[in-house]
Amino acid sequence: MYDFSYHRPTSLQDAVSLLAKQPDAKPMSGGMSLLPSMKLRLSKWTDVVDLAAIPDLSGIREEAGHIIIGARTRHVEVATSALLHAKLPALAELAEGIGDPLVRNRGTIGGSIANADPAADYPSSVVALDATIITTRREIAADAFFTGLFETALAHDELITAVRYKIPKRAAYMKFRHPASRYAIVGAFVAQMEGAVRVAITGAGPHVFRIAAYEDALTKTFSSAALDGVTPKLPSLNTDLHASADYRAHAVVEMVRRAVKAAAARKSI
Amino acid sequence: MAATTKTTGIGAALRRKEDLRLITGRGEFTDDFREAGQLYIYFLRSPHAHARIIKIDATEALALPGVKSVLTGKELLADGIKPLPHHVWALHPADIAMPNVDGSETFMAPHHAIAVDKARHVGEIVAMVVATSVALAKDAAELIHVEYDILPSVTNTWDTVKQDAAVVWDENGSNVCGDVETGSREDTNAAFAKAAHVARIETWVQRVTGVPMEPRAALAVFDEGTGRVTLTAGSGGSVRLKYDLAHMLGMKSEDVRIIMKDVGGNFGTRGMIYAEFCLVGWAARRLKTPVKWTAERSESFQSDYQARDLAVTAELALDKDGKFLAMRGSNIGNAGAHTSNFSPLQKGVEIMTSIYNIPTACFRARPVVSNTLPTRPYRSAGRPEVMFVMERLIDIAAREFGFDRVELRRKNLLHKEDLPFKNPFGMIYDNGDYHAVMEQVLELGDWTGFEARRAEAKARGKLRGIGVANYVDTATGVPRERAEITVRPDGQVDVIIGTISQGQGHETSFAQLATEFLHVPEDKVNIITGDTDVVKVGGGTHSGRGMRLASIVIWKASNEIIAKGKRIAALMAKADPAQVTFEKGHFHAAGQSLSLFDVARAASERNDLPDDLRAPLYAMSDETVNEAAFPYGAHVCEVEIDPALGTVEIARYSTVDDVGRAVNPMIIHGQTHGGIAQGVGQALMEEIVYDRQSGQLMTGSFMDYTMPRADNFPFFDAGFAEIPCTTHPLGIRPAGEGGTTPALGVTMNAVVDALRDFGVTHMDMPATPEKVWRAIHRKA
Repeated sequence: MYDFSYHRPTSLQDAVSLLAKQPDAKPMSGGMSLLPSMKLRLSKWTDVVDLAAIPDLSGIREEAGHIIIGARTRHVEVATSALLHAKLPALAELAEGIGDPLVRNRGTIGGSIANADPAADYPSSVVALDATIITTRREIAADAFFTGLFETALAHDELITAVRYKIPKRAAYMKFRHPASRYAIVGAFVAQMEGAVRVAITGAGPHVFRIAAYEDALTKTFSSAALDGVTPKLPSLNTDLHASADYRAHAVVEMVRRAVKAAAARKSI
Repeated sequence: MAATTKTTGIGAALRRKEDLRLITGRGEFTDDFREAGQLYIYFLRSPHAHARIIKIDATEALALPGVKSVLTGKELLADGIKPLPHHVWALHPADIAMPNVDGSETFMAPHHAIAVDKARHVGEIVAMVVATSVALAKDAAELIHVEYDILPSVTNTWDTVKQDAAVVWDENGSNVCGDVETGSREDTNAAFAKAAHVARIETWVQRVTGVPMEPRAALAVFDEGTGRVTLTAGSGGSVRLKYDLAHMLGMKSEDVRIIMKDVGGNFGTRGMIYAEFCLVGWAARRLKTPVKWTAERSESFQSDYQARDLAVTAELALDKDGKFLAMRGSNIGNAGAHTSNFSPLQKGVEIMTSIYNIPTACFRARPVVSNTLPTRPYRSAGRPEVMFVMERLIDIAAREFGFDRVELRRKNLLHKEDLPFKNPFGMIYDNGDYHAVMEQVLELGDWTGFEARRAEAKARGKLRGIGVANYVDTATGVPRERAEITVRPDGQVDVIIGTISQGQGHETSFAQLATEFLHVPEDKVNIITGDTDVVKVGGGTHSGRGMRLASIVIWKASNEIIAKGKRIAALMAKADPAQVTFEKGHFHAAGQSLSLFDVARAASERNDLPDDLRAPLYAMSDETVNEAAFPYGAHVCEVEIDPALGTVEIARYSTVDDVGRAVNPMIIHGQTHGGIAQGVGQALMEEIVYDRQSGQLMTGSFMDYTMPRADNFPFFDAGFAEIPCTTHPLGIRPAGEGGTTPALGVTMNAVVDALRDFGVTHMDMPATPEKVWRAIHRKA
């Protein structure tokens, strides 16, 4: 780890102004991705702005037909939320499958989304559920948020404060885990929303993406049989030691199929 | 599990005495030790697989306040630090000799602790930084400017022997360090000429790494007053490390002390002195300050000795009825960048034919070097590789020529009447009942009920497969071991022994030996190991030698304790020594009953004893055991494959290992379970990958290197046989490696069986999901 200045602001304003002052300052929420990369000297920051002391950033509530999750809500809280198990079980299940208990006890939803790891789980839920990212400056639509590998629409001194999820009729997330890291080789989030089905894939490409052909087919008929004969147009996919691009492409199809089956087996809300 | 009702001594399934201490954080691992004023070491390692070192400039690094020293190969040579004292071949009298066909010497090159002329693998040490903190040492390392001349590299084993391969050691002119032929070429070729069938395999048993839970660490202290260096470090044994360290530092062995308390895993890859251990000792002596080094996991991946890596082509000749006639082939063992250890090649090739009755065989064996981490013996060195080859060949033959896999094994497995049996390479198997053990595991694994399970799985869209594999293991290793036993008047028995537990449970199982022989409760027996000021002789823990040799010397020393005790008891009771008996911990003499500790007290308090009985009540046994042991057994593995993604699940796994006589059945089962995980890990998951072009290590962390985890396995059906070993006075056979030895072959036999409808006859390890998926979908 390289030397850095540590800050622990107690308000969003202070946090934002600390970030604004230093081009190489980095906000830290749970630190579950940031700290390992710093310890390995893979990243170097002049300042780390710890968001832990800022009040009112965590919690899960239902409001006007939406689920609102505070940015500093930890994975374990999402995984065990009675509200989510009743209204959006797919998201609770997704959170339960992130990392290990240590990571789930510290890692947060806002941190994960802002980090935009191509193999992270949450981005698929944000896009599939057509969520809105609420920040210190504005509201950003899910489809406009993830812009590249570890890249988002967030400005340097802009912080996520909450995620506002639409409540789907039915949804499911299925993850095919990387055998070594257990991150998603492919994670498929399928959500039957009011009027349309959305399919979002994480792990396979440089960032989360939707599959229009599948969404159209599933909007007509929400069953895995509806996918037969549909050829999805996929972006350029990742290749690593454990999964080549064409294997990933096949796994995308398979995991969407499984997610549709799992979602279809649920009671519609 | 063999039925046992014993609650004490040999055969009792006692819970491990050490576990409460270890699981409550009271273990004493190397990094737990610290010295006032200690400095910290960080090693600058080569980022290149093969590069000439032109110039090292540490000026900026040395200018950082708190940086005490930067040492390179130049200082190493100037201080006369010697290369690592590798023992390239196993020298046990039972192992075969490995002379080159052309009579030349095996090529060996000096392995300096810091690269002197060239860096020969990614991770080779180029400079050592000593500073007041680890972070500062790392900062300094980034300021060291090394000018490299990057050279072409070679990492892949098949590539090493090609004409145009990059040459790792210019002094040798090629990467081939030896060319050995074992067995009889003439007889073998004659047998092949008459064969009705020939089964063939070409395979690479991939490279893996050991991954002990505790990364390596070392703490060295130099005492200016006595001139002694004390090194605290974990290894496979302390006594050899003392001699090796003294050798490298150019010191007398009595001026080096090794302290080794708890060691978190070895598996063989940790079994030898490492460059870092010497460098830490050198730095402490040179700077006259305690110094400490602790590896991080990513450092372990690029500095721990690696393992396996054997390229094999082999053929099995059969007559029309399936009788094995002969076997031949060629093994290339990739030793990595240094000529450090070729014994896995040797220990494999000497038992290529396993426990089958194959009259003649001939194999070529070539140790080669490459731009990779050096390799070392690892959990049953060399044997899992060749058992994999043999067991795969049998399944290939069965499939290709229409034999039943089990019947083919029954037809060719050696019978107990054939034993002892000299195999075509000259190894003499002791005793056992190979047929009975295989039948026992087929029963345990419900072989006959399998087709119903296959059909049931098929109905669920899954591909189920089953495999069976036999194995034999050659347990040799350092032949000498010593035990010293002292019976203390305060009711404790101290046993000093030259092995080291790296998780094997010696504090419990060795105590059970003393309990068996001296009738003292296990909790009164203290197993003392690891400090070379106390332990003078001992070969460490490897090669199935821990229990095998410890049991002999503890038994003999116990017998001497009893013999001495009888003489003392006779004096105490004024009885004839010949009439004294020892039963249940008491000497009975002339109507008196004297406990072992009464006698020990008398020995220390009475002044009328002959000189050789004067206090304390002590005995030593120092034995050199030149006989090998040949533990064997059979495993059955059942897998279920999801054809949609190619994922392989272990559905059932059954084992029967002949342990001769189980000292602690629970500990044996634990070692078997861990061994299976290591073997199945190699079959399905683990692989050290180097980029074939650049020589870069691609699997440098757990993000890419797949470690098996508990959820990869079902509950195991582990059984064992107890047919007393005829070459061990107590009948004990080594039990620590049986879990691994057949696991590679049996798992892959099951995988290939599951894929039989897709035209798959063989698959190189590891059977990763993508590889299996490609096989199913017939994609290249």
